[in-house]
Amino acid sequence: MRIVCPFCGERELGEFTYLGDAKPRRPAADAGEDAVYDYVYLRDNIAGVMSEHWYHGGGCRTWLKIDRNTLTHEISSVEPATGAGARQVAK
Amino acid sequence: MADFSWASRSPLEHALATGVHGARGIEAGVSLTEIRNFELIQVMARRGKWAELAKAAKTRFGVAAPEAPKAIQAKDAALIWSGPHQFLVLSKNGKHTMNTLAPAFSGPASLSDQSHARALISISGAKARTMLAKLSSLDLHPAVFPVGAAAATSIDHTSVTLWRGGDQPDGQAVFNLLVFATFAESLWHTMLDAAAEYGIDIRYSEELA
Repeated sequence: MRIVCPFCGERELGEFTYLGDAKPRRPAADAGEDAVYDYVYLRDNIAGVMSEHWYHGGGCRTWLKIDRNTLTHEISSVEPATGAGARQVAK
Repeated sequence: MADFSWASRSPLEHALATGVHGARGIEAGVSLTEIRNFELIQVMARRGKWAELAKAAKTRFGVAAPEAPKAIQAKDAALIWSGPHQFLVLSKNGKHTMNTLAPAFSGPASLSDQSHARALISISGAKARTMLAKLSSLDLHPAVFPVGAAAATSIDHTSVTLWRGGDQPDGQAVFNLLVFATFAESLWHTMLDAAAEYGIDIRYSEELA
């Protein structure tokens, strides 16, 4: 599997680290215990296209948000996660 | 209070043995030269301050700071891309140090002195690209990785900054490689193994390639 880093270009998988699902959002402070439990522990096990966070630690050290098909490993989108470099490639 | 005297030593001091290594009876196909005693400053733009930093860099160095993976040669320094909105300033003889860069750059950027945190290795010779192809997953063909191209990448699971310096007078390519000091010895041995079959000419130098 190869990932096209928006800053570095196409790179081998070994340069990247997988974090996981990019969907969960931290619940509001008053959202209650169930919402926090869900946010911290519960993950969907998606067979199909999933939005994920990856870290290009072996390269430019930026966080990326990647849409990947978990069945085929096909990557349909790569964009920088929110951060210093994100604005540079923002459309 | 005790006085400390910090003597800077090369991270390759023990591993590097000058002379010919590997295959004998042929002209060495790979030259490995460690460059010693350089200044290396990491410059990272503060959030939203890249434009201001780029302007300060243009004023200071006379060239535009790299916005893509490239190494840009200024009169007395090389500006090497190290990630989005950040670059390394490589120079010699105290021209660009923390003290001299801070006045112009500490507003729009964070500076961090990496002079003694990295080892700098210059790789050249007829078989340099062939040897690197064993270790790197990057396409280093001259059409893809020309003079001035740079990459933040990994070699042998070790993060490195790799860039093409100016060609040698005989037209041979020069690859420069910055590696974390504590990983330098490991990477050095990996490169010796990869290059042994071509014959290696090992040196160190005080001059930037």
